[in-house]
Amino acid sequence: MDTLTIAVPSGRLLEDAVTLLRRTGLPLPGAGQDRRLLVECPGGVRVLVAKPTDLLTYVEQGAADVGIVGRDILLEQGRDVYELLDLGFGACRAVLAMPADRVETVWRPGRILRVATKYPRLTARYFEETARPVEIIVLYGSVELAPQVGLSDGIVDLVMTGRTLRDNRLQEVAEIARSSARLVANRGSLSRSARVAEFVARVEAHLAAEERPIHA
Amino acid sequence: MRIRATDRTRWRQTPAGVRDQMPAEVAARRRLEGRLLDLFARWGYREVATPTLEYLDTLLHGAGPGVGDRLLKLVDSGGEVLVLRPEMTVPLARLAATRLLPAEGGPLRLAYVAPVFRSQDRGSGRLREFTQAGVELIGDGGVGADVEVIALAAEALQAAGVEQPSVSVGHAGFLRGLLATLPPETADAVRELLYRRAFAELVAAVAPGPALDALRLLPTLHGPEALERARPLAPGEESREALDVLRDVLDGVAAYGLPVRVQVNLGLIRDFDYYSGTVFEAHAPRAGMPLLGGGRYDGLLARFGRPAPATGFAIGLERVLEAAPTPEAGRPVVAVAYVPLGYRRAVRIAARLREAGFATVVVSADSGLADAACTVAVTEAGFTVRTAGRQRPAAADEITAAVRAALEGP
Repeated sequence: MDTLTIAVPSGRLLEDAVTLLRRTGLPLPGAGQDRRLLVECPGGVRVLVAKPTDLLTYVEQGAADVGIVGRDILLEQGRDVYELLDLGFGACRAVLAMPADRVETVWRPGRILRVATKYPRLTARYFEETARPVEIIVLYGSVELAPQVGLSDGIVDLVMTGRTLRDNRLQEVAEIARSSARLVANRGSLSRSARVAEFVARVEAHLAAEERPIHA
Repeated sequence: MRIRATDRTRWRQTPAGVRDQMPAEVAARRRLEGRLLDLFARWGYREVATPTLEYLDTLLHGAGPGVGDRLLKLVDSGGEVLVLRPEMTVPLARLAATRLLPAEGGPLRLAYVAPVFRSQDRGSGRLREFTQAGVELIGDGGVGADVEVIALAAEALQAAGVEQPSVSVGHAGFLRGLLATLPPETADAVRELLYRRAFAELVAAVAPGPALDALRLLPTLHGPEALERARPLAPGEESREALDVLRDVLDGVAAYGLPVRVQVNLGLIRDFDYYSGTVFEAHAPRAGMPLLGGGRYDGLLARFGRPAPATGFAIGLERVLEAAPTPEAGRPVVAVAYVPLGYRRAVRIAARLREAGFATVVVSADSGLADAACTVAVTEAGFTVRTAGRQRPAAADEITAAVRAALEGP
């Protein structure tokens, strides 16, 4: 029997991802509980823990059959994978925000806005679609800092509760995308492996049983 | 502008996404190319070649505006934008429509092996230059032509030594029929989502109803009962016809009795928008991307002024070589070792050995050749053929037999 390799993201989605896998009946002793990055489980299942930004590379190249990843990463990276199911958890939004006291002066049509973000492609697409000029500064973390010290006019980042924005006196001016965890599969595994099809069906049945509200 | 430290040694590197190939890799690729071209020739496909460079206009005209961002471009002296061809179907459609069909009529059976070029995201692990081998059957719109290219594709995978390949066959008409039931703006949005394979996002784009249910089931519509399961989902005429064609195609391919799994996959979506009918891909275990892809593109030749139905496929040779490594040893090298007065006899005996097909290098007896499988030493009386641990004399007219015996071993 083929091994089924499932990639789960480290970080904020990890706990919910492992819980979901357990609820769909996969025995996962120890997965996500220690620092092992590759966990062999009974029944020919392997779980690999990858950084969210790397996860799609593992899936796309066939190193993992399926994976769980935020829609924000899918939109940013534009990889060649099947996005099969909205898993419902990990809901957040990508927003454009800027210092509350400077919105009036910088958020005006025609003004070139400098935006700091971890999501350069998502940001570029938004500004293209809204036909506003932008200069993008790519940072790898804590982008809220950039406008406070004059590195940028605003930021594009994920928000869950909005607390980080408030603490840094940033005001949301536009919603750019909504995200939640997605189940993805590579092109090969989906069509040739019965185990992958069966796994996807099991996750879907679990979601239907929970009747999670499907959001846009 | 500062010159980065890495720039100073850039001359050592190749650009991202392109790579050197060592002798063993080239030998393996050439063997594969040879096997495939030989197979294509035995099915009546004639090899053609087109230039590496095409006008950007040609590709946009053939493959649609979506390919623009995926091309490697350069600007010609007159300002025209040229591209390194990203695939061979559009160039061959241009060639067939403008040159071969007017001269010979159809159907045409054409084959090629060629490097193709695509821009890829840095660090994505995908090559910008890779090799495609493939065929195009132009001028035959029948199911028989679909069956022929799919059977040939399956045979090609076998010839390449891919273990447990599987071929998935879908049909663009099934999806077109489904989309025809939706309002035009919705259909456009859905096409965009499907192109990205974003099935999870369909619920946000399509109103609840039978069309949404059918679209969401697409990724599961593969395997033996897929045609039966699909039938009630798509009541439109175009979808029904597509399913009938698929049934006939699968029956036809089954007649070949190939030991390759061929199955329906209605969720199959090809990257190029010129595909109009039967489409297919082949996969190997543990590979995320398909080894081979193709299908029917009945509208493409018309875009180049000569309407004709057509179908074909392309194999990614680098992906096949990764899935089916061929551990064949390279050709053994024969060294002819000369002493100062024997040079003339050495080069003449070397010529005779090369004529007989041996890889032969002439070296001085002092230096020798470390990796030689066999050494022919020039002696006063004639020649000595040496292999590891054995040596025997040989006259000039029996040298090829002696070398062959020496290489074959005891």
